[in-house]
Order: sequence, then C-alpha cells, then structure tokens
Amino acid sequence: MSRRFQLLFSGLFLATIFIVPLSQAGLEIYQGQLPEFFDVFTRVPKRVNLRTFETNIENRSVYATAVRPWIQSLLFMALRDPGEKALLGRDGWLFYTPDVRYLVENKPAESDTEPENPVLAITTFSRQLSQRGIHLIVLPMPGKPSVYPDELTHRAHMHDHDFASPTRELISSLQTAGVETMDLYETFLSLRQQHRLDAVEPYYLAQDTHWSGTAVRIIAHVVARRLLDLGWAQTGSTEYTVNSMYLRRRGDIIRMASVPSLTQTFPAEEVHCFQVFDKETRNLYKDDARSAILLLGDSFFRMYETDEPTSAGFIAHLARELRTPLTSIVNDGGASTLVRQQLSRRSDLLRGKKLVIWEFVERDIRFGTDGWKYVPLPRD
Amino acid sequence: MKQQGTDHEVTTLGTIEISARLLEIPEPFPPNDLYNYAYILKYHVIKVHRGNVDGSDIFVAQYNPLKPRSSARDEFSGKIGGSLEAFRVGDVHRMALEASVDDYWMGGIIDMYFKQAGIRYWAVWTNLESK
Amino acid sequence: MVFTTHIFLFYFLPLVLVIYYLLPRYRNAFLTIASYIFYGWWEPWFVLLMMTSTILDYVCGGIIASPKSTPTRRRVALVSAIMGDVGLLAFFKYYAFTAQNLNRLLPMLGVSSMPLLQVTLPIGISFYTFESMSYTIDVYRGIVPRAQSFSDLSCFVSLFPHLVAGPIVRYSVIARQLASREHTLKKFSYGIALFILGFAKKILLANPMGVVADATFAAASPLTVDAWFGGFAYAFQIYFDFSGYSDMAVGLSRMFGLVIPKNFASPYLAESITDFWRRWHISLSTWLRDYLYVPLGGNKKGLRRTYLNLTIVMLIGGLWHGANWTFVVWGAYHGLLLAFERWRGKQTIYQWLPKPGRVGITFVLVLISWVLFRAPNLSLAWSYLEAMFGARTHVSCSALLAGEIYTPHNLAVMLLCVSLSFQPIEIYDWLEHLSWRRALVLVPLFLFTIGVMFTQTFNPFLYFQF
Repeated sequence: MSRRFQLLFSGLFLATIFIVPLSQAGLEIYQGQLPEFFDVFTRVPKRVNLRTFETNIENRSVYATAVRPWIQSLLFMALRDPGEKALLGRDGWLFYTPDVRYLVENKPAESDTEPENPVLAITTFSRQLSQRGIHLIVLPMPGKPSVYPDELTHRAHMHDHDFASPTRELISSLQTAGVETMDLYETFLSLRQQHRLDAVEPYYLAQDTHWSGTAVRIIAHVVARRLLDLGWAQTGSTEYTVNSMYLRRRGDIIRMASVPSLTQTFPAEEVHCFQVFDKETRNLYKDDARSAILLLGDSFFRMYETDEPTSAGFIAHLARELRTPLTSIVNDGGASTLVRQQLSRRSDLLRGKKLVIWEFVERDIRFGTDGWKYVPLPRD
Repeated sequence: MKQQGTDHEVTTLGTIEISARLLEIPEPFPPNDLYNYAYILKYHVIKVHRGNVDGSDIFVAQYNPLKPRSSARDEFSGKIGGSLEAFRVGDVHRMALEASVDDYWMGGIIDMYFKQAGIRYWAVWTNLESK
Repeated sequence: MVFTTHIFLFYFLPLVLVIYYLLPRYRNAFLTIASYIFYGWWEPWFVLLMMTSTILDYVCGGIIASPKSTPTRRRVALVSAIMGDVGLLAFFKYYAFTAQNLNRLLPMLGVSSMPLLQVTLPIGISFYTFESMSYTIDVYRGIVPRAQSFSDLSCFVSLFPHLVAGPIVRYSVIARQLASREHTLKKFSYGIALFILGFAKKILLANPMGVVADATFAAASPLTVDAWFGGFAYAFQIYFDFSGYSDMAVGLSRMFGLVIPKNFASPYLAESITDFWRRWHISLSTWLRDYLYVPLGGNKKGLRRTYLNLTIVMLIGGLWHGANWTFVVWGAYHGLLLAFERWRGKQTIYQWLPKPGRVGITFVLVLISWVLFRAPNLSLAWSYLEAMFGARTHVSCSALLAGEIYTPHNLAVMLLCVSLSFQPIEIYDWLEHLSWRRALVLVPLFLFTIGVMFTQTFNPFLYFQF
C-alpha cells in the first residue's frame, strides 16, 4: 500500500474514533450541558463510580442510540436475529429467552437458605398466613414455552406427550410440604389437546410472554372451582356480566426487542378479551380492599386488568366466578419477593383476609427479581 | 434569572415540588428489558417549594431509572419526565411529586426500604438542580 | 478497561494517541501512566498490587545485575523475586481453592480448617506476574541487562495493549524498543489493520459463538448433536476471542511503535497435539518451555523424565489458567497426550491418515479438552462429555435448546468460523501486504463491527479471568 493510502486508511480509522467523542461533546455543549466525559473528574475514582460513568457514557451516546436500531434491523432482516433476549419460533411466534433458559438449563444446586430456595420462602409465607388464620393457594404460572414448546422448535413435537417443566417438581415439593398448589400444566395440556380438535384461539399470545384473554377466562374458572371445592371461598352476591371485545396489542417481546424491522414484520396482534362489568351498576369491575380474598401476582395478573382494555384480566374474571370483588397487589416480574415486600408495608390490605392467592411465572423460580427472600407480614 | 433545575413542568405538575439530595441507591438498578420498574430511592429534602412532605428523609419512586428522565416515559408510566440524565448519589434534584406511588403506578415496584414506614412518593418530573 | 467498549474505543484510545504523539519526550512514562489508568479502571487498588510486583522485580533485578553482588546475594535476590511474584499469584489466585480443598481433608486429620477469605482475583495477574518474573530470571541468566529505569520496567509490565490477556511478552523483546523505536506510518497502519481484524473477530464471531456455548453448557441434558454443536461453538469462541484480543494487542502496540510477537498460528490446522501447542497461545507455551520445562531438565535427562516434565509443565500450565480441578485435568490431559506423542517420536497414532484426517482428529481431541476447560466443575464436564458421546438420557425440555441455538444467525457465524479456522492464510500474512483494496475492506468492517458492538451487552474477553 502506498504511503498515500496508508495515510488515508489511518486517517479514516482515526476520524472514526475521534469524531464520536468530539461530536458528542459538541452536542452536549450545544445543549447547554457540560460534556458527560468531564464527569469522570467530579467523582472519587472508585469501582462503582467508574462503572456508573462508563454506563452513562454508553447510554448517552447519540451514535450508539442512532445506529443500534439500524444494525438490529439489518441483523433481523439478513439473519432473522431478533436480539439477545428474544427467540424466533415457528409460525411467527416469538419467545422470551429467559423463559426458555429456565426450562433448558441445569437447576442450580439445592440451597437451604433464602433467597435461593423458593420452597422455603413459600412454606414460610404459608406458615405466616396460617398463624393469622389465612389460607394460601399457590399458582405457579407456566411460561409460554412450557405450553407451546412446539411453536419454538419442531423438535419439541417429538416430545409432545412427555414434555414436563421442572416446575412440576416444585409443585410436588410444595404439595408434600402441605401448601395448596395448583398444577396448571395439566390444565393447559388438556386444553391444548382439545385445541387441536376445536381450533379455538391460542392460550398464549404469539408475540407476548403472556396468556390470551381466552386462557384468562378458563383459568379463572378452574381456580374458582378449586377454591369452592376446598371451601376456602364462598360465592358472593355481586352479579357480573361480560362484554366480548377485540383489541390490537403489540407484544411485550416485540417492545423489548425494540428492533424496527421486527415491528414491521409483526403487526400488532388481535386479542380477544372479555371485559367484566358489574351487572347492576354497569361499571367496569373494580377491586375492593375490604374483600376476604387477596391476590398477589405478577404481570399475568396485570394483563388486561390494568392494561388495555382494563377489567378483563384474571382478577376480574375470578371475581366474576366468585361473584365478589377482590383485593390485589400486582408487581411485574416481582412476584417472588417484591410483591410480598409491597404487602409488608401495606397493613391495610391484609386486614380481614381469609385467603391469599399467590401467582408467579415459572421463570421467576430462578430469575425472579430479588430472589426468594424472607419477608415479614405487615403488623396486624 | 431562571433557577437551576426549574422549568414549567416541575413547577406545575404534581401536588408537591421539592429540592432534595439523593442519599443512596441501595442496589444496582435491575435490567429494564421485559418490564420497567419503579425503583424507590431515598432523598434528603432540602427545600419544599410546593405542598407538604412527610419528614426530612423521604422515599421517592422513580420509574425506569436506567433511562434519562426525558426518555423514561412510556405507554404505561403516564406523564413523567425531566432533564435529569442519570441518577448519582449526592446530586440535588428538583422534583414534582405525587403521593403515593400506589395510586399512580400499578406495575413493578422495587422497594429496598420496605421495612421502613412512610409514604412512597411518585416522581412525576425530575430535573438536575446541582451536582 | 476492555478494548471492545465505548470508553476504550472512543475516549481512552484517541486521548492516549493524541497525547503520546504530541509529547516530544517521556513517552514511555506517559504510556505507563495511561496503562495504570487502563488497569485501574476495573478496581483502582489493583494498580498498587501491580506496582508492588514491579518494584520487587526492579529492586531484585538491580541487585542481581550489580557488579558488587556475590553469587549468593544474586541467588537470594532471584529467589526473593520469584517467591514474591509466585506468592502474590498464589494468594490472590489459589488461596480460596487451596483452602476449600484442604478444608475437606483437614477435619479428617483432626486439624482445624483454614479460614475462607473472600479474595478478589485481580484481572490479568497471571500475565503480568509471569512477565515481571521473566525479567528477573533473564537478568539473572544474563540474557538482558537490568532495566535502565523503573519507568522502563513499569512500562514493560503495565503496557496496556498486552497487560491483561497477553501475549506474554519478554523483557528482552521490549527492552531495546523502550530505549529507541521507530514510529512509521506503515507500522501504524499495519497496527490499525490488526486491531480492526481482532476487534471484528471478537464482536462478530466470538461473542455470538459464546451465546451458543453458554446455552449448551448450561443445559441440563443437551442432546448429542447439540452438545457437539456447543463444543464447536466454544472452540471457536475461545479461539476468536483470545486470538482477537492478541491481534488487537499486537496492533495497538504497533500504533505506539512497539513490535510484540504474535500469539497464534492457525491452531486448528494442527496435525497433532504437539503441533497444536506450537500454534496456540505461543507466548505461554514458550514461556513454560523456557522457564519451567528447561529448568526441570527438559528432554536432557532421559525419556521417562521427559514425559514426566511434559506432564508437570502442562499441569502447571493448566493451573495457571485457573484455580479449579477442571484446569488441572485439562493440563494433565494435554500433558499425557504430549508425552504419548513424544513416546511415539513426536508422531500421532493417526499419522497415516491424510492431512484433513489428522487435522480433524487433532481438532476433536482439542475440542474434548475444551469441555474440561469450559465446564464449571468436573462433574458437569463429565456430564457434558457423556452427552457428547450419547451416554446420557435426555429430559424432554432439552428439545427446546434447538430453538435457541440453531438460529440462522448462529448457523451463519458457525459456518464463517469453520471456514476461517480451517483455511491456511493467517491474518498476519494477509495483512503483510496491505493493499488499498484490503484496506478498503477493513474500514467498512470496522464501522459495521462498531455498530454490532452497540447492540451487544457487555462481554469481556474470556482470558481476562486468567
């Protein structure tokens, strides 16, 4: 290479690595701010401060922000890569990688201590409640790949009949420990077998990690039946009615991946929902803090309830089945510990309760925010 | 002259307006991939400009704290925003608040201070007042 | 600091280049300061540790080289330096491992157990202790003169391009260049080209393969075909990750006028394990040869001793990588294979096969060793090997792994890795004649790699942990 080209080549490289910080600083000055880079001189050079500085530099980079979606789009269009946290399944189905990892990966070694041991946390919570005369029923919620493994990979067809989530071991441990635990895997398995015959709407959304409006309604019915059978709940006197409706919803996996071409490839999904109304007042279903039943859960309980279209989620449908309004605390991705922490600082919500229904999505058994910590109940 | 950290939103939104120093970030902020959390932060109140707050050290829920306030707003959060780029312990923020978070945010809340009583305020607008 | 981050690429590197080339003098001192900042970026107190090791070797090197020193004094200085360096390494890297293992044994003997301290492993400690130790040994052997100043020695030890993951550079290679070196546009542009290729190897090849390897190695019971796919993925991850880092290190050094040796020579084209170790992590294998194998007697003390020496050297080489039984077994595996080939007169039992067969079998032997290297413990390594050889029953959920690993992206990268690893042209040769056409390929490659870097989460180099 001639000297002239060496110069050009070196110049292009240097221009690239110089333009990014200089133009970033220029832009920040133009916006009336001190360039982020100078922040490194304003803090004690400790590990934590250096990491924060580095993260801020990356997050504020206009180039990274501008280029990232283009590259992600390119990778999706050329190689069908939806990004690190999403997996592209069959028939336009998308999966959340941690949902799949939970099923595939080795379980970490059994731990007898919190916050790694869900059985310990759940049995302790059950005991805490029982000391106050409150029943507990636990609902481990199957993740989408547990119910629709065949939509992730064709290979799962071969295992259709013996596909078993490791969560069923947890369910069995909890049942052995005397904690009332519902096995929704059986329910979904039999529903899917019927599904083949009836070709009804899927029980999970294709672009989302959550269940469909149809599944919400069915599972609410199944849970209500169990509660009534156990004698832990009585049918109330409030009459509810249901209004069927369709809405278009952009799945959380699409939103999370934030790949522009993914959004173009997958138009918003049509979801069939059933909004619950008070038959007498014609008002949409609303929680009542005075209810004898408290629901603790994650985004599976939030879906359609406080989200669009509202009052069409599991809570509203369970209330309809039991003919009584309920109390709920919902914490997205935080049903392992955070939701109990929220309960712990809100003593009003546990007052007068006879039953707690605790739902968490199965991947949180391993990946739940803050693990499975011991949390005291609120003072009486 | 316009005071550092003030703008139309911070002086008009919410029912409370304060200047407060961020005392600590108890644990690294969790990832914000599938869900966006509200994260409870502890502040020392320097001055109350509007409304009342409960004590000198208060707890404030900041939605999706990994993002600059100007881009933290999404379809679930309702109106939030501000000029603050990043949360750093020791910085003074000028904030418009609502009480309490339970009435304004129905999603995930990470509250490392859950054993401590007191209102959890909801940060509607957060500007950087001083470093 | 990591080469493939925003902070390094767009802040540290431009700033250091500008100041370096603006300085008329004290460039080595400046490089040392920059290197300390680079190293202290992880944990500032780590710098003190590196300085301690450098001071020790500087002082001992001075005593050894002093004409007034008696042979005993020189020997004491040498032993002190080695003990100091090895002591640092032993404490920070092996204390927890030793304590855990002894604590299993000691109670059986009625002795109270050792306290388990939380020791943080300083990044790159294995590399820089070997480098500073080699300086003192070389001064003792009379191969190099003592460093002219502390600044020279600290620059050699801390030099940021090769500081945390090698190549392990000898003082003899650097000493003269520290005193005087040429800065030419040709050297600079060659350095840039190497840096870009190393950067692309890491971001475009190693990281995606790492995702596949992580998924398969974490799987409870991967199917046989998946286990092999994951094994291949890890073999390519570690190669492109480590060789990518080495290319970037060599390239960066050239940008500052320093020439350091390459660390890889198409290792997956090796036709035997002996050949593999001539091509893989060359700076480590030659270090172990010169400072361990030869002092142990090498091949000069009979055949049995040669086999033993080979096994000992590889065992120590294994332990050098990490305080875990998996590395010990990995080292022993390679040691025994080397000894076996030596016993056969540096011949393999598959020597009769055509070249692709020899290369293929060697690759599989190496791949098996990577399972030991990658697995978190021996039990999981064994389970993985069982999965590879079909000796493990599968749970139904294993089927889902296919959905995660056989994506068009992963398959395309795997194909690219295979074709790059098994082709005969080395990048050093390819870049030797850096035509403008090649340069014009590199610029868009650089821009594209930066773009992909923006989409990836933090992914440090594998060898940082060693």
